[in-house]
Amino acid sequence: MTKKRKAAKASRKKTSRTRLSAALSAKQTPKQRVAMLAQAPLAVCESDTNMQAVLGVLRNTAEPTEVRLAAMDTMATAAFSVVAFEPCRNDYIAALREMSQDPSPEIRESALGLLAGEKDGFAQKKLLEGLKSPEKALVRPEKALQLLGYDVHAESYAVARDIVENPPSDTARREALRLLSADARSAPLFEKLLRDKNEKREIRQISASALQALNPTKLQDHARALLLDDSDYDDIRATSLEAIEQFGDPAHVAKDSDLLQSVERLSTTAPPKYKKGAKHFLSKYTR
Amino acid sequence: MHALHLSATSSEEEFAGYVDAIAAAPGCRGRLLDLLREDHPVYDQRGGATVSRMRGWVLVALARGPVSDAALPFLLEELDTGVDPYLVAAAARALRSYPHPRPALAPFVMRALEQIRYRDDPVSFDEYGAYATSTSATGPVREILETLAWLGPHARGVLAKLQSVARSRGLAKQATAAADRALDAIHTAIGNESVDTDSCCELPRSVISACSWPRTDRRDANAIESLPFEDHDGTAVTFEAVFRGHPTIVVFFYTRCDNPLKCSLTVTKLARVQRLLAERGLADRIHTAAITYDPGFDSAKRLAAYGRDRAVRMDGRHRMLRATADVNALRAHFRLGVNFIESLVNRHRVEAYVLDAQGRLAASFERLLWDESAIVERAYELLTESTEDIHAAGPRADDRALPPRSDSPAVGVLASAGVAFFPKCAVCWATYVSMFGVAGLERIPFPAWLEPVLAIVMAINLAFAWLRGWATGRMHGPLLVSAGAAAILASRAAPAWERLGLSGVGLVLVGSMMCAVDSRRRGAERVLATHPGWIDRTRQKAGLRVTPVSLNRLAGSWNLAISCLTTSVRRSTRRRSAAGEAR
Repeated sequence: MTKKRKAAKASRKKTSRTRLSAALSAKQTPKQRVAMLAQAPLAVCESDTNMQAVLGVLRNTAEPTEVRLAAMDTMATAAFSVVAFEPCRNDYIAALREMSQDPSPEIRESALGLLAGEKDGFAQKKLLEGLKSPEKALVRPEKALQLLGYDVHAESYAVARDIVENPPSDTARREALRLLSADARSAPLFEKLLRDKNEKREIRQISASALQALNPTKLQDHARALLLDDSDYDDIRATSLEAIEQFGDPAHVAKDSDLLQSVERLSTTAPPKYKKGAKHFLSKYTR
Repeated sequence: MHALHLSATSSEEEFAGYVDAIAAAPGCRGRLLDLLREDHPVYDQRGGATVSRMRGWVLVALARGPVSDAALPFLLEELDTGVDPYLVAAAARALRSYPHPRPALAPFVMRALEQIRYRDDPVSFDEYGAYATSTSATGPVREILETLAWLGPHARGVLAKLQSVARSRGLAKQATAAADRALDAIHTAIGNESVDTDSCCELPRSVISACSWPRTDRRDANAIESLPFEDHDGTAVTFEAVFRGHPTIVVFFYTRCDNPLKCSLTVTKLARVQRLLAERGLADRIHTAAITYDPGFDSAKRLAAYGRDRAVRMDGRHRMLRATADVNALRAHFRLGVNFIESLVNRHRVEAYVLDAQGRLAASFERLLWDESAIVERAYELLTESTEDIHAAGPRADDRALPPRSDSPAVGVLASAGVAFFPKCAVCWATYVSMFGVAGLERIPFPAWLEPVLAIVMAINLAFAWLRGWATGRMHGPLLVSAGAAAILASRAAPAWERLGLSGVGLVLVGSMMCAVDSRRRGAERVLATHPGWIDRTRQKAGLRVTPVSLNRLAGSWNLAISCLTTSVRRSTRRRSAAGEAR
């Protein structure tokens, strides 16, 4: 059994090595090279030569972008095997930092994404610089905000608040709010957004989720008020219903006749997908 | 001298200029240490990565000149609990500027290597804020290995671990060369054996006292007596209610800390402290508390979940707490080593405190990972004075609600030890008898009446040996015991044959052991088969539950005990003879 396993492992390694050498060969088409790189992560850290060859493809701006991206993905996959990847890590991180300023936007975005996942100070610095001075931006603002969200310790909340105030785009504003949902000081902002009927419903949904994380008691108060307001949107009221059902105090809810009457109305007037939730709520609290 | 003034609003460039200026100015290097305080205003409202860059640059500046003892705790802290590659690399580099390499430093360096080896990111010390993008850049692993090479002979204690790392083939090419250099440096020293190991095996006292020290000037807690807290259950309490009337062990943490060697480990260690207190019967007399740095985010539910995941005991005496107002007063009272960006911690040190019964700080354990037993011991020392204070103050309202306390911690300890050490079988009894025979008889004076008693004991042993031999069908043991007894008697009878006594003791010992170890049931059954009446009579007369098996075990145990007892008596007898001759 052990021999078989060893043989199978050796065979896998050999296959992986063969694929890697084929992937590095310019004779293959880009599509073939991408396919082979995707199956070669095992071979990357077998030797310094292999690793340098893959990093060489990644750094070479003359290579097709899809092949370079595939080389980056191969390295990223190999990095999951933390122990096996140990000798490669130093060079890998250095290469990613270099690639974060690559002429290709896809390469830049991928490189910064991988670095941000490692909570890399270099990537955070570049992303923040880009948000503060758009002329220095390496990626789109919404992407930068997403990537900064990987680390709560990055100094991104002040920048995110500025973007909420003066958004370069709706997507950037949405991402800024998502980022702020871990910021305890932003709870009042989310309360305001949740109650504002002029806000986009997606933004109000994000605000409800954020408030649940930051101040669940406040969310319960607002959710009740929203449910009592028959003029508000059904999906927002359904979200409020969900919040009360999941996180509310059952004894308190069961005694709240105004709330139960409002849910009763929702169960008859709302579209079918929300009716079901309302009926479930009533069955739970009106037994 | 650089005329820059440093403030909370100074830019990173200004900060770097200030650091460079004081590092270069003679007599000003001590001010670098002030910048390593986590609560320094210059770190207020900066992100985690920015704080790392700034602190790292201070460490790099320290590396440019001799490092003092006062700076050592900061370097060791980084090596002990650091997970940021830049800071660990900078600390390892700065340590090489310490003028007194010593073995006590090696475990810190080795621990850093083990912790950071899988985060060996490239770093650059060329200029402030530089991030390496070249493959030739150094990294924490290389810096640590260079430091081990610098330690050379003093790193002998970690040689095996270093060899294991080097053999693992996990190191990058440049790091492998550094590992070889470190190994060579240590091996060379082993050949020389020239290291003075007496004076340099411990950290300097100033370093130890900087990291763990009793506070003689205990500040009263009047300013924060009414500070409100919420505990893991959502119960509202005040500082006075939680911390007055008993010593308390307090640690600080926050649930979003991403350094597993700091908050998560601290709270896990607190759970261990609680177990130690319970084992010593002190869990009701010494309370514990874990207070979050981040009360805005760490709700009662989050605190409870965090504690539960780390096996923390949570009840009225052991709480996870969040301050619900005036966090700055709490921060000032404990002089916490922490700073924030908005409401979130950007950097903090490891810190644990022991509070006396008045809620005053009686001891603190800072920076380096603290030892659970040491902190329990410190709290225990406070109990005497606490008891006096409690009696003086009378019972408090919340104490009356709690179940009664145990009378003394000694009762719990003794009860546990008693249960553990009470002999529960024949072999245990035999072992105890043997042990007391060996340990005790040598010390007691040898009265004349003891000799006939021992003769009787030896006769009983002989009888049991024959009983066992007869029961098991193995006669080697009884024959040896008989020969031994004869030899002992002969040595007592004729002084010329005294040396024969030693052989006699040996024979009794071996024979008794042989009898004792054969405890097969077969022998007992044979006794039962051949002498059923005797067994029944004994059982009836004694009113005991005597069975062939228990009788057989008793005989075996007796033999075992006697084998040891004989040895003791023999030695004791000889000593008495020698004393008589001397007189």
